[in-house]
Amino acid sequence: MFVAGVLLMTLFGAFTWRMESVRRMDLAARVAIAFACGVVVGGVVMFAYSVIGIPWQRWTLAIPLVLAAALWRRDAARPAGGTPALLIFVLLTIYGVATARETTGDLLYFWGPKAQRFFLESRIDVGFLQFPHYYLMHPDYPPLQTLIYSWGAIAAHRFSWWGALYLTPVFLLASVLVFRGYSRNKGFAILLAAVLAYGIGSARSAGGADPLLYLFEVIALCALTFDDDSAIASIALTGAVLTKVEGAAFAIVVLVALVITRRIRALKVFAAPALALGAWILFAKHHGLLDAYARGKSTLHFEQLGMVVKRTLGAFILPWIAAIAPLTLGRNWKRAALPLLVAAGTLAYTIFFYLHEADPAFWIKTSAERVLLTTVIALIVAGAAASSDENVC
Amino acid sequence: MRERLQKAVIVTASLLLPLALIQRFYERRPPYFAAPRTIVDHVDRIEHSQRQTILLLDEVRPLIPRGAQVTCFRVINGKRESDNSNYLTAVGQLPHHVVLPPFAADSLSKSEVVEYVVAIGEPFNSPAYKVIAGFPEGFLYRADR
Repeated sequence: MFVAGVLLMTLFGAFTWRMESVRRMDLAARVAIAFACGVVVGGVVMFAYSVIGIPWQRWTLAIPLVLAAALWRRDAARPAGGTPALLIFVLLTIYGVATARETTGDLLYFWGPKAQRFFLESRIDVGFLQFPHYYLMHPDYPPLQTLIYSWGAIAAHRFSWWGALYLTPVFLLASVLVFRGYSRNKGFAILLAAVLAYGIGSARSAGGADPLLYLFEVIALCALTFDDDSAIASIALTGAVLTKVEGAAFAIVVLVALVITRRIRALKVFAAPALALGAWILFAKHHGLLDAYARGKSTLHFEQLGMVVKRTLGAFILPWIAAIAPLTLGRNWKRAALPLLVAAGTLAYTIFFYLHEADPAFWIKTSAERVLLTTVIALIVAGAAASSDENVC
Repeated sequence: MRERLQKAVIVTASLLLPLALIQRFYERRPPYFAAPRTIVDHVDRIEHSQRQTILLLDEVRPLIPRGAQVTCFRVINGKRESDNSNYLTAVGQLPHHVVLPPFAADSLSKSEVVEYVVAIGEPFNSPAYKVIAGFPEGFLYRADR
């Protein structure tokens, strides 16, 4: 019921079926796009309710859901053909979460407790976030993941730890279906599924915010690389900045890459994410919750650069090879320029983040696989773009 | 030729990655096809530190009145450990209670200590508390006021 409730958020994204770029896609990709955009819209609605004081109840949330669903438009979708190999990776991830082999500790320590409390209080519980002894739960961390879990709990009338875990294969499948829909490249879609399943399982990030962040990153990169689709990219980047602090860094890197490649007007893509993140930071500041977003003055430890680079690059050998090897055989480098710049930028900010710690060895060991998956995703998108003869530039 | 080579590379990588993942899953301890009791049963080669905590909190939850103040920590040699992970886990596992940090059980006055203590592992030696329930994973104490 928890997972089914979250899947219902797809109706918030029904408007995407009216968009020309989405209508060109196969049915599975269209549903996946509607789901991803739906959780962003639903999350923003829940945040807005909290700000203006409307409690989260089934009926208060059902009203905007039904209104959004009315925007659905039925028309014939392009057949995608089957890619049964994708199922292997989804089933492996289902096995991993069902046997508790890839659970992130963060679900136990803060995503779950926060979502549960928000659900019980029918709002973003500022008092809970302000409580000084819950400081380790990151009071100003972006809210989307907890809002989605709270939505699932409202639908099921209780929070489900296992339901939170089972959303991971859903996010993985949605990521791959969107990638296949935009790139129309089944080979690279299977490769992406393999890398995501391995990366999430190996890094034990199920139940955390990373699989959701990967979904938004895949959508934003694909929308900008394969279709110049600024509207979908904008919604995906809004989702990214509301999911994790790293989402904001990712959005800035995409902005820089867009400016360099001069693909489309950056303002069209970045107005919504900037507005959404600004609203969250203002909310956090107003309630005295600022923490992660107020750490601009911490010291950089450049003396650690060699160690950080060595350990960061060495953390993820197999996915690096899997992403880079097919990329080297591409030829349409102009088309791959944007995701390649994003890959370089995300690697750079990962190293930059690690340099803020005097002794980051443990931090790298426990997080590098999870964080670097963003870079690997960008390399796979670049690989698919470079292997295509189509030129959309 | 280039396309064929690229396809071969993708197929090889797509075969190696799931094999590597299965190897990771295999390392994370048997049983491989039994329903786990907690969400952290097989996340590592050794038992996760929070498995025992989750199981104990499941047992004590019905014994603590809703809204009561409670803390949770691991006990070593009769004394509490200053750990954050057990306490944060308790916040999520006891959503209808007020979970306070472990030092809330330290006060010198019996009237000021937190009402309930969930002690993981060994018995908690404190004159301020009396045990009200014991389980294989630990004990539940109430302030002796």
